[in-house]
Amino acid sequence: MVKVDVDVKEEKKAHKSQSSLNILWREIVRDKLALVSLIFFVSITVVVFTVSAVLDLDQIVKVDLFSIHQAPNQEFWLGTDYGGRDVFGQLIIGTRNSLWIGFIVTFLTGIIGVTFGLVAGYFGGHVDNVMMRILDFFQILPFLMIVIVFVAIVPSYSTLAFSLIMTAFLWMGIARLVRSKALQERELDYAQASKTLGTPQWKIMFGQVLPNLSSLIIVTMTLNLAANIGLESGLSFLGFGFPESTPSLGTLLSYARNPQTLEYRWWIWLPAAILIFLLMLSVRNVGEALKRATDARQRRG
Amino acid sequence: MTFLEINDLKVHFPIRGGIFNRKIDSIRAVDGISFQIEAGQTYGIVGESGSGKTTTGRAIIGLNQITSGQIIFQGIDLADKKNKKIDFRKDIQMIFQDPYSSLNPKKRVLDIVAEPLRNYEKLTKKEEIYRVAELLEKVGLSEESIYKYPHQFSGGQRQRIGIARAIALKPKLIIADEPVSALDVSVQAQVLNFMRDIQEELNLTYLFISHDLGIVKHMSDRIGIMYKGRYVEEGSTDDIFTNPQHIYTKRLVAAIPDINPKNRAKQKTFREEVQKEYEQAYHDYFDEEGLAYDLRRQSETHLVALPERVN
Repeated sequence: MVKVDVDVKEEKKAHKSQSSLNILWREIVRDKLALVSLIFFVSITVVVFTVSAVLDLDQIVKVDLFSIHQAPNQEFWLGTDYGGRDVFGQLIIGTRNSLWIGFIVTFLTGIIGVTFGLVAGYFGGHVDNVMMRILDFFQILPFLMIVIVFVAIVPSYSTLAFSLIMTAFLWMGIARLVRSKALQERELDYAQASKTLGTPQWKIMFGQVLPNLSSLIIVTMTLNLAANIGLESGLSFLGFGFPESTPSLGTLLSYARNPQTLEYRWWIWLPAAILIFLLMLSVRNVGEALKRATDARQRRG
Repeated sequence: MTFLEINDLKVHFPIRGGIFNRKIDSIRAVDGISFQIEAGQTYGIVGESGSGKTTTGRAIIGLNQITSGQIIFQGIDLADKKNKKIDFRKDIQMIFQDPYSSLNPKKRVLDIVAEPLRNYEKLTKKEEIYRVAELLEKVGLSEESIYKYPHQFSGGQRQRIGIARAIALKPKLIIADEPVSALDVSVQAQVLNFMRDIQEELNLTYLFISHDLGIVKHMSDRIGIMYKGRYVEEGSTDDIFTNPQHIYTKRLVAAIPDINPKNRAKQKTFREEVQKEYEQAYHDYFDEEGLAYDLRRQSETHLVALPERVN
C-alpha cells in the first residue's frame, strides 16, 4: 500500500513551475516601459471608473449658455465647450465609455473568435471548410458602411448595442489565428492520446488544446484592446459613434473639426487626444512585451 | 477464441486533387494483413519506415479510419459499424512513441495520469490522488512528482508517466508504438524490462511495434515482418531468427551485429550467402509492383510470402 502524505497546498507551491502566466508576468516586470505602461493604464482605468461613479452625467451634458467656451478655471478644470458643458467631466465619462466599449468588444470578440477558431481548427476537414467560408463572408462585408447604416436607422443606441455591432465585424482576426494554431495542436500526440483515453471531443478541445493556446490568446486580445479603443474613437470622430449626449473620447475629439475650436480652444480636444494616444500606446507596450514573452528567443526576462 | 484477430486489414489514405478535390488515387498504407494475438503474449511488428506498422496499431485503437477488414477483439468486431457504440477504450490502450509530445505540457502529472480515471471512474479528489500515487509508484516514480509538470522529467521518466497513464484503467491490450525509440540506449533496457514486469503483474497483452530487431527479439513471442503495407513473413521468434525464409527477412537478420567473436566466421558466410541470393533472386520475391505475395504456411507457426514459382 502506498502512503499518501502529500500536503496538497505545500506541494503545489513547491512545484509552481514556469507556468505561462508566470513567464508573461516576468517579461512585463523586466521591461520597465511595459511595467510603467501597465501601471498607467490600470490607474487611469481605476480613476476613471471611480470618479465617473460620483459624477452626474445629466449635470455635465446640460447646456449652460452663460458659460460657453470658458478657458480652464477654478470651477471648470478643463474649461467648457460650445454648449457650456464641463470638458473635464466629459473627459472622465468619455474615457469610461471608450474603455468600456474596448473591454466589451475585446471580450466578446475573444469568446466568439476563440470558440469559432478552435472548433474549425480542431475538427478540420469539411467542418473547417464550411466555417472558414462563413468567416470569409463576414470579412468581405464593408464594416464602415454597415456601422453608418446602423447609426442612421437606430435613433438612440447604448454602449452595449454599439459594442455588439462592432463585435459582429471584429471577431474574424482572432478566429483565424486560433484556427491555424489549433490545426497544429490537434496533430500532436497528446491530443491523440486523449482520444485513446476515451476523453470526449469537446473536453479535448477546451481542456487539452485550449490551455496550449492561452499565451497566443492573451497576447492577441491585449493588442486587440488597443485597436478597439482607437476604433471607437475614430468612428465617433467621424460622427458615426455616439451622440453628444453620450460623451466618449471620440466625440470630444470631433469638436476639433471646427477650425475655431482647433485653433483657439485647445482645452476641448487636446486632453482627449493625448489620453487616446497614451492609452493606446500603453496597452500596446504591454501587448508587445507579452508577445515577446511567448517567444523564448526574444524574451528578456 | 483468439484474443485479438486481425483479418485482411486495409487502411488506405486518399490522394485528392483535380478541380473538385476528387479522390484520384490512394496510398495503401496497410494493404491486407492478418494475424492473431493470444492473451498474455507479446506480438511484435517490425518494418522499415513507411511500411505501415504504426498505421496498423493506430487503426486497431481507432485513431485511423480503416478501409476494410476485421478487428475481432474478444469475439467482437471493432471495425463493424454496428459495434461503434461499444466502448473498447477501457480495454485497449496505447503507449506513444514520442514521450515529449504525448504529454500535454500544460498539465500536471496528476491531471495527465488521472485523465482516463476521470473518464471512466467516478472518484473523489482524495481517491484520485491515491490511485495516481499508486500508479506512479508502480512505474517507479516518487509520489512527490504528481504536482510537477512534464518538462521537469527526463525522457525515460516521461515514458513511464505515459505507461502509468496507459495502465491506469487496467487494460487487456496495450499497443506500444515504438515505445523506446526516442530514448537513450541506456534507458531503453530499463523501460523494456519494466514493461515485461508489468506484463506479468497485470497479465497484459502487447502489440509491440518497432523497427529495432534486437528489441523485438527480446520482447516478443511472435513476430510479423511488414514491407510496403504487407506481411512478408510471420512466425514465432525462433522461426524468424533461426530460419528466415524471405529474402527481406534474411537481409534484416543478417544485418544484426553479433558481439561474439567465435561466431564471426559463421556470420560472414551467412551474410555472403544472403548477399548472393539478393543479387540473383531479389525480384523473384516480389510481384510486378514491388509488393510481397500472399503468405504461405511453411510450418505450424511459420508463414512466408513466397512466390508460387518456388513451390
